[in-house]
Amino acid sequence: MAQMIKTTPLHPWHLGQSANMALFGGYEMPLWYPAGAKAEHLAVITGAGLFDTSHMAVLTLHGPKVRALLQRCFSKDLERCLGPKKTPLIAGRCVYGVFLNPGAEVIDDAIVYQCGNLDYMIVVNASMGAPIAAHLEQQNGEEPGAMIIDHSDLVGKMDLQGPAAARILGRILKNPDQVFEKMPYFSFKGTFDPQRLPGLTVQLLDGTPVMVSRTGYTGEFGFELFVAPAHVEKLWTLLLKAGEADSILSCGLAARDSLRAGAGLPLSHQDIGPWIFGCNPWLFVLPWDETGTGFTKEFIGTEVLRAQPPTLCTLPFAGFDPRKITISDKSLVTSASGQPLGTILTCTTDMAIDRVEGKICSLATPVEAGRPESFSPRGLCCGFVRVEGLLPAGTEVLLTDGKRKIKVEIRDQIRPDRTARASLQNLL
Amino acid sequence: MKELEELHLPDGIGYTDDHEWARITGETVRIGVSDYAQDQLGDIVFVEMPAIGDTFAKGDEFGTLESVKAVSELYMPMSGEVVAINSDLLDSPELINQDPYGAWIIEIKPSANSEYAQLRTAAAYLDLLKG
Repeated sequence: MAQMIKTTPLHPWHLGQSANMALFGGYEMPLWYPAGAKAEHLAVITGAGLFDTSHMAVLTLHGPKVRALLQRCFSKDLERCLGPKKTPLIAGRCVYGVFLNPGAEVIDDAIVYQCGNLDYMIVVNASMGAPIAAHLEQQNGEEPGAMIIDHSDLVGKMDLQGPAAARILGRILKNPDQVFEKMPYFSFKGTFDPQRLPGLTVQLLDGTPVMVSRTGYTGEFGFELFVAPAHVEKLWTLLLKAGEADSILSCGLAARDSLRAGAGLPLSHQDIGPWIFGCNPWLFVLPWDETGTGFTKEFIGTEVLRAQPPTLCTLPFAGFDPRKITISDKSLVTSASGQPLGTILTCTTDMAIDRVEGKICSLATPVEAGRPESFSPRGLCCGFVRVEGLLPAGTEVLLTDGKRKIKVEIRDQIRPDRTARASLQNLL
Repeated sequence: MKELEELHLPDGIGYTDDHEWARITGETVRIGVSDYAQDQLGDIVFVEMPAIGDTFAKGDEFGTLESVKAVSELYMPMSGEVVAINSDLLDSPELINQDPYGAWIIEIKPSANSEYAQLRTAAAYLDLLKG
């Protein structure tokens, strides 16, 4: 049976721009536009980029039992997750975490938004709306539980990312000052569907309701925007027009992948997936207690997490030039002497960075922090490997496709001077 | 992505099925990749080239192109000895995207000029792309 290829509401726009298209998560999506993936990647570091992310799935959950359901299924402890004081999740705030199966393997990663007292929204990856809805439904119990609605393909979403994002968005919003006031990282305002999902009123200049979330998947400052599908193309073209002065570019999945890899963010089902969620850079999504050794709550997966210390570790790496290895059955990670260590999960090139006297420098690195005045990065190979045991940062290993060998270094961080957490007021 | 009719496929050079081109420049032959290849690969971020003096047979891999999308091997359109590499590409690999026929990658002294005649003409290469 031929698999049906899905498209987003912007599909005709992408084709009209001669975007290079490819299948991703069941959707035909742009890989890059004529400007090219490098220009798109750099635009997000220095100005702004706009990504079509309507392929991602949105669920909403309603009722008095939602919170307990999420506490049972989602890795973050919603009663202890905000800020350094670990305060409870409240309306207007959102958190990143994972859904694990009983074997502590990742079903998907997600952002959980609290929209009202009893209303929540969950954003998961493309084609994961139905599986996550089914998983939650299964955990929902027989009593009338939480009402779970799968809005897959019924919500338009786009990501405006880069240091110019707030300036650009402010030009098309009603009352931008009110929207941007007190809007920390991982907070949101507005709703894409005022009838069904509570939230403050945030509108475009023409009155279209929009949900503005200070989140993203690039490691850079910016927003994820949600609107009804009928308004997607309008919002998209409004933002591109409003961003002309800031050299905004529409960006495809290639730039999204290289930006997120350099930011150390995992791609679900590639860097996290059907293996035990342990020993990786994303353990902050677990509900650690104050000692950092135990959990503050039980949820699906904790039993196995406690019982089985993982033998495989997922670690970020960066190379010394842009060369990368194509991942295949033959690709692997070896020690400097050629002894097999494990597998390559992600291998891409962050085109905004290069080494300056050995140290990684980004286009966003201030000159006083070590960026040369004339800095034209060639890019560095980067990504994640999964190896036996923990290798300390600084360890040099080889990536190979069976023929070529590329030396890379295990790192704690890849791209420095990222802006995701920057103060919004400083970027207006 | 370019439509077939948008591709620039100049005459006067020979094309391979792997999308390299060869141009006779006096005693030597310059080798690069076609407009189709650069368009398919997307932004080229690194070019791995052989050393001057290396010799290869026709069809041998002589280097790689790193694009944002993938790593692609480069194959010799003709046998010969590398007499020059385009060192501009070390700092500006994007020249291949901007001008695939100006941005030659290596220059060889061919060991058999007759191999040139076995390459595809622009029209025959377009037929190949049409499938």
